[in-house]
Amino acid sequence: MSVLEIWLGILQGFRVTALVTLYGLVFAIPFGLIFGVAQHLTTGPARFVVTSVIEFWRSSAVIILLFVFYYALPLAGLALSAMTVSAMVLGLNIGGYASQAVRAGLQALDRGQKEAGHALGLSRSTILLRIELPQALVAMSPTFINQLIQLVKATSLVSLVTLTDMTFRAKEISQIEYDPVPIYTSLLLAYFIVCYPVALFGRWVERRINPAREARRAV
Amino acid sequence: MTQTDDKPAVQIASLNKWYGAFHVLKEVNLTIPSGSRVVICGPSGSGKSTLIRCLNGLEAYQQGTVTLGTIELGANARETVLARRQTGMVFQSFNLFPHLTVLSNCTLALRRVLRMPRNEAESLARHFLEKVRIPEQATKYPAQLSGGQQQRVAIARALCMNPRLMLFDEPTSALDPEMVKEVLDVMTGLAHEGMTMICVTHEMGFAREVADQVVFMDQGSIVEQASPVAFFSTPNHPRARSFLNTLLH
Ligand SMILES: Nc1ncnc2c1ncn2[C@@H]1O[C@H](COP(=O)(O)OP(=O)(O)OP(=O)(O)O)[C@@H](O)[C@H]1O
Ligand SMILES: [Mg+2]
Repeated sequence: MSVLEIWLGILQGFRVTALVTLYGLVFAIPFGLIFGVAQHLTTGPARFVVTSVIEFWRSSAVIILLFVFYYALPLAGLALSAMTVSAMVLGLNIGGYASQAVRAGLQALDRGQKEAGHALGLSRSTILLRIELPQALVAMSPTFINQLIQLVKATSLVSLVTLTDMTFRAKEISQIEYDPVPIYTSLLLAYFIVCYPVALFGRWVERRINPAREARRAV
Repeated sequence: MTQTDDKPAVQIASLNKWYGAFHVLKEVNLTIPSGSRVVICGPSGSGKSTLIRCLNGLEAYQQGTVTLGTIELGANARETVLARRQTGMVFQSFNLFPHLTVLSNCTLALRRVLRMPRNEAESLARHFLEKVRIPEQATKYPAQLSGGQQQRVAIARALCMNPRLMLFDEPTSALDPEMVKEVLDVMTGLAHEGMTMICVTHEMGFAREVADQVVFMDQGSIVEQASPVAFFSTPNHPRARSFLNTLLH
């Protein structure tokens, strides 16, 4: 098998890798936003509940959650597709991390921002949506890009629940070829080729959505 | 606050506030007629900021009442919101929204609170930016402005909401000396237009020229309240005297 054939073989798994990443984001983004904000706003028992949910997704081993949700839930009568399980587990795990970035971003803001909003008569929700979140999300955007890259890399685990992603394809090919070095080197490069543009995109986003900071730099 | 001539703009009665066990405001009574200018001064930690923050709901208090016009704060939620909206506040550290342009800083509350259409809000904002003499900075971000310019934007932002009462908490303390005047000039202009103002400041020149009452606070109490002339020439309280001495030297 030539290197080109190995590459084409691995690329057949790209669609699944990309889909798990995209569907994963469908879980991760709302979870990170809602739970990060909720942790910022709640106190007492409500905050305990919010924190517990976050910690469950953030602190459990992804690989075990994949197995549990894929193999054990059907026993309880709830059969989810491998794609759904993968997107949910990986997405909520990364979403758990993202929620902490959202909360930290909100808590790092100067208290004067909220006070100025109150003094102008803005409602709490307007202060959150128009003043706090825009600043917190921009400040945390490098962290979010890191987490996106982590999500892409974590999708290599879904081969364990039968999805034919890039890693699964590499394993298949290496079972036929018995020549793991070029195959896994190609796989390594394949993930790099996917992730590096994400990193570049992240830098570009940072520049685009932060006119105030850029303007300051230009002064 | 719907204002009738016989109602003072602000009436503070037996106000007491504690931070835990620390009694930060002690039995404060103060009446501020509509259209008058009050300067509050006193040593650091005497409770000046805490007092004016109680006037627009930024701080809660445990005893006493604050009445703005006809509205007693906290008595009725809807009216309290209204009273708050009609009270402008300018902070020592400006507290502009750094992610918004100068113009958007000024229009945010007009659009989100008063539901004013964009072009109407923008022309109103431009009017007040002109009034504080920085119309040309409208499209810049706060970080691109000097401290004095930022504070003037903060004043314009508050004025956009058409406040009946303006609160200033050491508006010039964070400024370089050469920028203090431009901010004080704007405030003096407002005073001459008849705005009811409460200013925490140690700018005694401003107090002399603009205030009709000077309130001196120490350890959470108002210990002296007088006209500027009386306060500066013959302060009664020994602590006011020693405070004035430290300011002069
Ligand atoms: N959130 C808080 N919790 C506990 N104590 C506080 C809090 N805020 C202020 N204090 C204390 O209350 C007292 C009055 O504070 P305040 O900020 O009103 O003083 P000030 O007269 O404005 O002083 P300065 O001239 O330094 O601004 C101070 O002793 C301060 O340490
Ligand atoms: Mg203060």
